[in-house]
Amino acid sequence: MPDVRSFIRLCVATAIGLAVSTGPFSAQAQERELKVGYMKNPIQDASLDIMEKWAKTHGVKLTRVPMAYSVFMEKVTATLTSGTDQFDVIWHNDDWGQLWKKWLETTDDVKGIENADQWPLLAFWNDDKKLTVVPMAHTVGTFFYRADLVRPEEVPTTFAQLVSVSQRLQKEGKVKWGYVGGMSMNNTWFSLWWTMWANNCDILKPLFERNNDKLVAAKFEPAVTEPCHREIVEFWWDAINTHKISPPGMTAYGRNEANAIFMAGEAAFTLVDSTHFGEFNDPKRSKIVGKIGMAPFPVGSRALKPTSWNEIWGWAIPKGAPAERKQLAKEMLSAMMSDEAGQIEMWKKTGGPPPNVKLWPKLAAEDKDFAALKHAVFDQTPITHSAYYFAEWPAVHKAYSDMAIAALSGKREDIPKVLAEHADKIHRAATGN
Amino acid sequence: MIERPVSFTQAKPEPRRRPSFHLGSRMNEKTGFMLALITPAALVLVLFQVVPILTGANASFRDWTLHDPKRTWVGLANYTHVLRDAEFLAIVLPNTFGFMIATVALSLFFGLTIALMLNKRFPGRWLVQSFVLLPLMVAPVIAAIMIRWMFNDQFGVVNAVLEGLGIAPISWLTQRWTTFLVILLTDVWLWTPWFALILLAGLQSLPPEPFEAARIDAASAWRTFRYITLPMLRPVMVVCIVIRSIDAFRTFDIVWTISGGGPARATEVFSLYAYVEAFQFLNLARGSAAAVIGAIIIVIFALLLYRILNRFVEVSR
Repeated sequence: MPDVRSFIRLCVATAIGLAVSTGPFSAQAQERELKVGYMKNPIQDASLDIMEKWAKTHGVKLTRVPMAYSVFMEKVTATLTSGTDQFDVIWHNDDWGQLWKKWLETTDDVKGIENADQWPLLAFWNDDKKLTVVPMAHTVGTFFYRADLVRPEEVPTTFAQLVSVSQRLQKEGKVKWGYVGGMSMNNTWFSLWWTMWANNCDILKPLFERNNDKLVAAKFEPAVTEPCHREIVEFWWDAINTHKISPPGMTAYGRNEANAIFMAGEAAFTLVDSTHFGEFNDPKRSKIVGKIGMAPFPVGSRALKPTSWNEIWGWAIPKGAPAERKQLAKEMLSAMMSDEAGQIEMWKKTGGPPPNVKLWPKLAAEDKDFAALKHAVFDQTPITHSAYYFAEWPAVHKAYSDMAIAALSGKREDIPKVLAEHADKIHRAATGN
Repeated sequence: MIERPVSFTQAKPEPRRRPSFHLGSRMNEKTGFMLALITPAALVLVLFQVVPILTGANASFRDWTLHDPKRTWVGLANYTHVLRDAEFLAIVLPNTFGFMIATVALSLFFGLTIALMLNKRFPGRWLVQSFVLLPLMVAPVIAAIMIRWMFNDQFGVVNAVLEGLGIAPISWLTQRWTTFLVILLTDVWLWTPWFALILLAGLQSLPPEPFEAARIDAASAWRTFRYITLPMLRPVMVVCIVIRSIDAFRTFDIVWTISGGGPARATEVFSLYAYVEAFQFLNLARGSAAAVIGAIIIVIFALLLYRILNRFVEVSR
């Protein structure tokens, strides 16, 4: 038994010894290290590559901590609220811009931020009117078409033309489907919502309002029973069941399924984030390489001109990070915002539009793809933002998605009834009840 | 010499022993050593099971959102919200119990069938046995992703086969019951080998005498199965059913991956409800309340199930 005692003593002593001996070293190592929590994605990696260049020349070790999208927001939210210094820089998105505002360092003093587009920053102001993000790339919904099948002048500019051109191409046997896009929860933008905005409509009243005070004053009244809204649900019901320009399974599609059909050459049109442009042109994955054009959104009968959405992905600095690392992170983000060559490289590698908007005219002049994107999206005036920025927004999005899918899964004549039944659920979701 | 009887009163009290000091210290050392061995596992259990459960239970009585944890006491408000939620009562709980009953019944049926077949000797039995066990080696999420693509209405192999047979393709994941069927098939496919494996072990441990007696009496295969195999196998089946029912109640991965609870919450089960509340809507308190309610339901259900099934076992003896 003395052996046992010795063994236990040895274990305890070793543990203490290790803790004592490694402590100073780990602290020393952390002095010039920045840890970045992000989602594994080509654009985010490309942006990190820009920062890596700066890090190497300044003797900083940049540690990438990739996370899955499905757990990213939850995990980082928990980290932020616990005040730990697990990350020095984190990926930030407009969807949760307002949720994190009080847990993030302000970024107004980051050099180069003045070159960012102001419109997409709405979600990222804190209560003191200070910014809490540094843009990484723009995420914009883009209407893609098969340029080998449709001449630029034939590209649909209205919903009606989208149906007629699709049916013509289907009849000619050139494609199996006219339009394909994600529709299930978290993919609502790629079918229901772009048509909603392109039909001059919105989810809550007052339409296109994103000021939370005004939404509260309007008691978060849903706009889903408005005629403009019923029309877009009926449009998709008809697209799937009557005109048959979209696959019958589309109500269950995420963007992966929709992109797979488009990349297989089986659909003429899709609408998805511009950041998928690189994927569509990847010869290992796509049959339509070099055959893709971009155009402004077709519009519904209530719209006067094409609309777009234009938001950003960004980087943010948690308040919980030590002061010296926060300063270092700001220097790194300043370098990223100032690295014009790096941002152009990011666009070329991934299709992520640069955060420095002063680069856009120059890039459009020398890159025909960027010129097409600029015409399709950036030259159009968005009528609103592509999300709402209050804490209950995820619940509203889910309630909306459930409503739309229920309406599209039933009979056409029941659509008004389904929308009316779910309006109260959307209202309750918005008010937290 | 006459020996004087020794009276108890006269007896000289024995010096007080230091009672089992040596033995005690040895026991203490032994106990200490054992404690040292189990401490890491116990710590892991406490840190990753007990503490989160207590934290969750604590959160369920408070105003605790992930993005703004005020932690103010709200009593049973979160429980009331969940129990008054029409979707929870009318969709989530029926789906959960329907799924649990269907998957356990089907897996048991197929598992028992396979176990009975594998209990007979035939050439290549080991190969079949290995093949049957393959689904057990596939992670449920991977299986669910595979199944989602197999049932894809455009690229899926299932529709390709149907079209080959002249049957119109089906949009499997757009309607409630077809989606539910796909989820159910996936779960049954994943869990049938587990039932087969355990029931096969049970079959192989049955005593041969009753079967020999049945053979001598010229009992048919069905009667042998009905009156000998099944009653003797019931204790094993009860354990399988109870364990698997509890597990099926908390199924998350395959439902989340295949349907996300859709279309329009039509296939939402209890674990998805709790997850969405806690981690999509960031309302940790409400999600925790749902989880606690689910835990209470499953504990009551498991106890009832065990009691009922145990009665069957007793009767069959």
